[in-house]
Amino acid sequence: MLNTLMEAFALISTWEVIIALLAASVYGLVIGSLPGLSATMATALLVPVTFYLSPIAAIATIVAASTMAIFSGDIPGALLRIPGTPASAAYADEAYAMTRKGEAELALGAGVWFSAVGGIAGTLSLMILAPPLAEVALSFSTFEYFWLAFLGLMCATLVARSSPVKAIAAMFIGLLVACVGIENPGGVPRFTFGLTDLFGGIEPIPALVGVFAVAQVMRAMLTPEPPPIPKRKFGSILAGQWKLTRKYNVQMTRGNIVGIIIGVLPGAGADMAAWVSYAMSKRFSKEPEKFGTGHVEGLVEAGASNNASIASGWVPSLLFGIPGDTIAAIAIGVLYMKGLNPGPTLFTEKASSMYAIYLMFIIANLLMIPLGIIMIRLASHVLRAPRSSIMPVIMLCCAVGSFAIGNNMFGVVTVATFGIIGYVMEENGYPVAAMVLGIVMGTMVEQAFVTSLIKSDGSILPFFERPISAILAALAIGAVIWPVVLWLWLRLKRKSPAATPAG
Amino acid sequence: MRLPDRVTGSFLVVLGAAAAYGGWLLPPVPGQPVGPNVFPLVIGTGLALCGLAITFGIGSTFEETEEIIPIEGGDKKPPPGKLYGLRALLPPALLFLYVAVADRLGFIITAALIVYATATALGARWRLALPLAVLAPIGIHLIFSKLLRVPLPIGLLPMPW
Repeated sequence: MLNTLMEAFALISTWEVIIALLAASVYGLVIGSLPGLSATMATALLVPVTFYLSPIAAIATIVAASTMAIFSGDIPGALLRIPGTPASAAYADEAYAMTRKGEAELALGAGVWFSAVGGIAGTLSLMILAPPLAEVALSFSTFEYFWLAFLGLMCATLVARSSPVKAIAAMFIGLLVACVGIENPGGVPRFTFGLTDLFGGIEPIPALVGVFAVAQVMRAMLTPEPPPIPKRKFGSILAGQWKLTRKYNVQMTRGNIVGIIIGVLPGAGADMAAWVSYAMSKRFSKEPEKFGTGHVEGLVEAGASNNASIASGWVPSLLFGIPGDTIAAIAIGVLYMKGLNPGPTLFTEKASSMYAIYLMFIIANLLMIPLGIIMIRLASHVLRAPRSSIMPVIMLCCAVGSFAIGNNMFGVVTVATFGIIGYVMEENGYPVAAMVLGIVMGTMVEQAFVTSLIKSDGSILPFFERPISAILAALAIGAVIWPVVLWLWLRLKRKSPAATPAG
Repeated sequence: MRLPDRVTGSFLVVLGAAAAYGGWLLPPVPGQPVGPNVFPLVIGTGLALCGLAITFGIGSTFEETEEIIPIEGGDKKPPPGKLYGLRALLPPALLFLYVAVADRLGFIITAALIVYATATALGARWRLALPLAVLAPIGIHLIFSKLLRVPLPIGLLPMPW
């Protein structure tokens, strides 16, 4: 244990890792603070760069950029009432109300302080949960993997803030995208339409860049530019945070736990964690009437929650290759590229790399406090950059980055196509996160499914025979039936007042 | 680009059916009951069923209409014309243009075109767009070509490094 820890320290104390961590932190802070550029987009655009880094440095950039971006989305939320990332949307109103009351320092300070606390709590959950789960997962056969993947896909559709039918359809589209290519049980070209470029399948990373970055530039074309931020001087940022921690430690802990749980659930990430925690905070607060008028309590809980979900989202990613959220989906792509294929054996064979990941999460969250304060002080300058100067650079990064992944132009075609697909889907209420999950998990789901079918000789029974697989199957089937039950119940409830007038 | 559910639903039915049919046509692995055909068959069927449900409006009650946060102090723009929505297609169109001409014109020139077009479309004056179109491609070229050694197309304007 101590030996592995020392090894992990040695892995991360190289100049390459340190520089990568710092540069990615600054990058994450800037991108996250710009309205319209999400944390997922920041991470996706970073992937081509990670190609050329060592495995640990590559993961360091992903960890640092995503952690920082989730916090710095709070900055324009508090100052402009425009959330920098969707994860800050839940409490942007509240934070802005505080700014108007003259408490901008307290709101932003709570953002940076409780984000760091949440991030560290999430990392602890990753350290505590992952190794014992890996022990259990070692005995998993393809049947368990199939149900697990199925459950993961269903979770992603359940938590989407949209129609579940559309979410399931989006997931199927993602799985269909993953079908393309010759990497299938028969090794025959499938859905390639004679195009050699499609033989290798559709690369997930350019598809993700398209869905998250190009689609965002497309949306920017139709939305008005956010107003420039007023210049202001800040007082002490961290003053009073310790008092808040003492006063609201129950809320903070609850936020951490909710964030961790939501992070572990596949497909549900920081956005969902913030919404749920903010709502919970209001529900259980002793003074709910203060919410919405610039009350810091909800900020504490939701801020602690969204950052906690980032680290815990890595639990299913590292163990099973099932992403906990869209950022983890990108991280999985990077892990595969770097030969750290997700799976329970990672924790035994590459234990030092795992410890290095934990350490990087902790370092990134500690680093967030000083860097975050600098960012808050510089925010009025950074946010002055007009959108028309940032979006063109994003476009170039999309083009070059997607080219760099395979050094061929087909990557650029993929990015552009998925930009259109992502844009149209989002406009029509199809959650793109579910599709992304389908794309990333498609190959694995199919492999588990077909191998299981071959093993069972076409029979369905073995899918339920092993104890763990039976439990997972029950959960998965429950996840399918649940929305149907809910739908029927809502229908009956709506009909009953008409059928039985108050009696 | 908000289409009625009936349109997107019907499209999914067609897509699902095509996928299932395409899967059906694939050759099975000799001596195996299941092969590359099973998965597309299952997915295609599922997709078609979802499409049917969407067409008939099942599940639409769950949809939350997204709250648009009004920007305080922002002036109301006149309602956009019919073709305004097509502006959204500019970014992918520029990327396709990149694919088509980058090899001939080279990275720097194509990138400058993309930057200038995007910046102008987002409302930048030429005084901002022009320097940006010169500097941004050179900066990106430095990072990706020099530092990360991505073989970007040289074309008409080779860089001195």
